[in-house]
Amino acid sequence: MQNKDMREEEMIDLKKLYDAILNGDAKTSVAVTRQAIEAKCDPSEVINGTMIPAMAEVGRLYEDEEYFVPEMLLSARAMKGALELLRPLLLNAGGKPTGRVIIGTVQGDLHDIGKNLVISMLEGAGFDVTDLGIDVAPETFIAAIRERQPHIVGMSALLTVTMPAIKTTIDAILAAGVRDQVKIMIGGAPVTKEYAKEVGADGYSVNASVAVSVAKRMLNIGIA
Amino acid sequence: MNDTISVRLSPADVSFEAERGRPLRGPLALHGVDLPCGGAAACGGCRIRVLAGTLTPTVVDRQSLTARELAEGWRLACKARAESDVVLEVQHRTIPVLADDRPIPAGRRRGLGIAVDVGSTTIAAQLIDLANGAVLGVRTALNPQVAEGADVMSRVRFALNSRALTERIRTFLGAMLGDLAGRNAGRVVEVALVGNTVMHHLFCGIDVAPLSHAPFASSCLGEQRFSAGALHWALPNETIVRFLPCLGGFVGSDILAGIVAVDLGRDQGLRALVDLGTNGEIAVGNRDRILVASTAAGTAFEAGAIRQGMRAATGAISRVDVEGSELRCTVLGGGDPIGICGSGVIDAVAVGLETGAINAKGRIVTGSRRFPLANGIELVQADIRELQLAKGAIAAGLHILLRQWGASADDLRTLYLSGAFGNDVRPRSAIRIGLLEVPPDRVVVSGNTALHGTKMLLCADEAPRLAAIDHVMLAADGRFEEAFVAKMSFPARRGED
Repeated sequence: MQNKDMREEEMIDLKKLYDAILNGDAKTSVAVTRQAIEAKCDPSEVINGTMIPAMAEVGRLYEDEEYFVPEMLLSARAMKGALELLRPLLLNAGGKPTGRVIIGTVQGDLHDIGKNLVISMLEGAGFDVTDLGIDVAPETFIAAIRERQPHIVGMSALLTVTMPAIKTTIDAILAAGVRDQVKIMIGGAPVTKEYAKEVGADGYSVNASVAVSVAKRMLNIGIA
Repeated sequence: MNDTISVRLSPADVSFEAERGRPLRGPLALHGVDLPCGGAAACGGCRIRVLAGTLTPTVVDRQSLTARELAEGWRLACKARAESDVVLEVQHRTIPVLADDRPIPAGRRRGLGIAVDVGSTTIAAQLIDLANGAVLGVRTALNPQVAEGADVMSRVRFALNSRALTERIRTFLGAMLGDLAGRNAGRVVEVALVGNTVMHHLFCGIDVAPLSHAPFASSCLGEQRFSAGALHWALPNETIVRFLPCLGGFVGSDILAGIVAVDLGRDQGLRALVDLGTNGEIAVGNRDRILVASTAAGTAFEAGAIRQGMRAATGAISRVDVEGSELRCTVLGGGDPIGICGSGVIDAVAVGLETGAINAKGRIVTGSRRFPLANGIELVQADIRELQLAKGAIAAGLHILLRQWGASADDLRTLYLSGAFGNDVRPRSAIRIGLLEVPPDRVVVSGNTALHGTKMLLCADEAPRLAAIDHVMLAADGRFEEAFVAKMSFPARRGED
């Protein structure tokens, strides 16, 4: 088979992956990714050329109020299916993530979905994200900073009564001497830009899609 | 000598005095101004207009209002401080409060009793003859705690640093019940109060800190007793005042009373009670076992979450019907609508789903992305999303409770709808949007079950035999999130994919 034909086949395949992610079709997403791998597509090309633009489009549709939480989660699932197959190949090829992030819902708070959407959007943008879960104590954040050495620490709180735990956590990170190693981004329904300034966070994002641009700005990465 | 100014409210034409420099939001809340976010200046839902006098715009006013609005005299009530004599335009709203007039079975108790449903938003109290449950008097009122927020979490946050809410509710109830008893005060032998766990803790003066963070488990859920004398109430000193026990988490004695009122545990048949009030409590069970849980329903159906949303008060669109190709809106109190209340929102979305203006994913598909109703009142895309979140939570809560109980919605003999909102909402619309997943003939609109059940408990010769009632923490059920997301979407039109 000629190289040109193979490339055309690749291009067709990858459009199917793009659509599968947009449509939240995990089955197709996984199937097409497998085909792409078999056809020896460059994994970082698949991620950068197809997966990341697909998730960026999902983010845009969410901000445009076309997509809501269920659509976001389905697209995220489709994206994760692809990513799980590509990631090991990427590491073998020496690929680097856009950046490393650890993220958790603060102590006393059990809310999950918003944080999980942020994780999906960041992963969909090429970040390496560690999920610390919910009800995360300051000590756990600090230990994860030491172990994972992330560029960004994300904190989420959904109740006005649990918001103070954001400040407690940031103060603890400061006291532990690791504050200047990371950038801190906060979010959650009651959180505001003013509150972020008040507690000494580096950034604030109003939704999962905006979180991606905030994260990129924090790492001085060019934004499209 | 205090330096006071006078505040007159228009069009209600009521006046009150305030000390210069003091915040006005407390008295304004008592006169009908909604404070949806509890004074956090986060929502802009508390706006009032200065007709005469001065209120210097605050920093928050400048952030939340346009230059033109400021020039027209609009201010946020939550940050206003008494400055000079003023006349303020406040839409004085009469809020219908749900009382109860269904008969009670007779017992052997004698004397008078008072049953009080301490709702987060509204309080309803009835003076009854314990011999036969006959209602001798009714008082209803807005819960004065609304000044610290429409939702219970705002009040918990406030109460972490202040005993004011406890003192305020005791004083308020003392006056309300003293007035209710009137010249019969000497014959009142017992007062029974019911309410959710936050109401219970605030009245009883119990530390709310455990309710302010996960796992939201207080260790002081039991019944608390006081004497009217110790509370300084205008009732005989030895009159017993008891706040009935909570069931767990945020689920309180109002649900216990509701379970008694509808006789949820009358036989082996499976029944459910859904209180579509501020906290969205659900009870599922039968004679042997009952499970209860709470979901956060309330604020999605009131101002703060719905752009033009308001409480079910004068001026609210409460019903939406289709007549041919036109929408017909019913407004509480008649006249032009100034907003839309929860039952109106649910009707509107049900209608939108039927006409196709809103698709099953919740998208307003008309070009303008708005769903106009009447007189400039409309729903926008964000409003539909808020509704999806709230109804997804309730539908998922019911689904999970049924699952944990070991049954499905088909097994439900009856679903009792209670709470102020539960009584306004049209069962068919609630079913159409997927809020309730049962056939329409199983839904029984049940009035104020909290008040009715409390009266039954007051009049009963002995404590009723109740099934084991277990509280379920929905957040701890691994399947809740998936159910929540799945139930955010709306049921498709028949014939649609």
